[in-house]
Amino acid sequence: MSIFSIEQLVDDLTPVRRLNGWHAALAVAAMTALAIAVTAWRYGLRGDVMIGAPVPMVLVRASVLALLGTASLTAVIDSARPRVGRHSNGWSWMLGLALTFPLLTIALSISTATMPHAEMTATSAYWCLGISLSAALLIGTAITLWLRRGAVTVAGHTAWLVGLCAGAFGTFAYSLHCPSSTVAYIGIWYTAAVGTSAVAGRLILPPLLRW
Amino acid sequence: MKVSDTMLIALMRRAQDGDATAYRTLLSSAESWLRGFFARRIASAEVDDLVQETLISLHRKRATYDPTRPFLPWLAAIARYRWVDRLRQTYRAAADSLDGDLPVDSHEDVVTAQVSIDRLLAQISPAQAQVIAMVKIDGLSIIEAAAKSGQSESLVKVNIHRGLKKLATLVESE
Repeated sequence: MSIFSIEQLVDDLTPVRRLNGWHAALAVAAMTALAIAVTAWRYGLRGDVMIGAPVPMVLVRASVLALLGTASLTAVIDSARPRVGRHSNGWSWMLGLALTFPLLTIALSISTATMPHAEMTATSAYWCLGISLSAALLIGTAITLWLRRGAVTVAGHTAWLVGLCAGAFGTFAYSLHCPSSTVAYIGIWYTAAVGTSAVAGRLILPPLLRW
Repeated sequence: MKVSDTMLIALMRRAQDGDATAYRTLLSSAESWLRGFFARRIASAEVDDLVQETLISLHRKRATYDPTRPFLPWLAAIARYRWVDRLRQTYRAAADSLDGDLPVDSHEDVVTAQVSIDRLLAQISPAQAQVIAMVKIDGLSIIEAAAKSGQSESLVKVNIHRGLKKLATLVESE
């Protein structure tokens, strides 16, 4: 490169505000809070959640979803800056934890030799997918807008993580409304919502993350 | 002059605050480092373009540098990204060209097969490596490569297409 070209870049130099991962975390927190507020306003929250005494299953699933979302968000923030070497992989452990629900559903079906028909045909499943994925869209958009200020160098992997993160927090918002507390319902429909969001992120986002 | 990473961190920190003198020194050091980085990986004719593209990317994305971390790995990641991006564009161009005749001189636009070539080509099938080397490095036409390798013309095209795709994946996963 000629000196002239370097001088062009120097001439164009202005002070910059460094990329701040907390901005992404705040955006996700705000969008999740908005999704919960809209869900509460339009559909109402569970009674036990409203009185501050959720049943253990609601606590467990909400915790797993929040942990999965947080771990994948950490990895997303990490991937916004170019770097060589190891990247944050806590999300894979959290994903493993979250997968216990569908695995348990399968194991219970096999051990009892019965399919969870009630959960599979539950009409609330449409709401589960609709609310979770709408919230995921909101959260995923916020993350993507922040990421575009960064410099993602592994677009496919990051896109997948954005979808996973958005799906986890979106389903978390729905879980506070969700009338069901069975393992099978969580194993089927929550998995479908988070999985759909992750796959959608992987398919849609890479072109938006390249620079 | 070789500048230490500690010095580069200090220069980049000042550049982020708008210090033009520090930025000029940083860009000059980055330019020589990038020349060495790409010289080991791609054909010399392509080094200038990639160095320039990487410096422009450094400029555009300077806000993403975190001064608490080393500078050179950050720069290396940007350099690798530009390199992979070039590879991706080349792969797409090669894929598109499979629909028609591959121009004889299209290798001039193709950096792909010249990237870390010995090491990377060793990781794909010999048939793919052979025709990629013939067409993308040596500049043979599809017909010439087919005659020389004993593969049919369509197989040469398919092997180039698949081989480049695999090379892109290999480079991206490094």
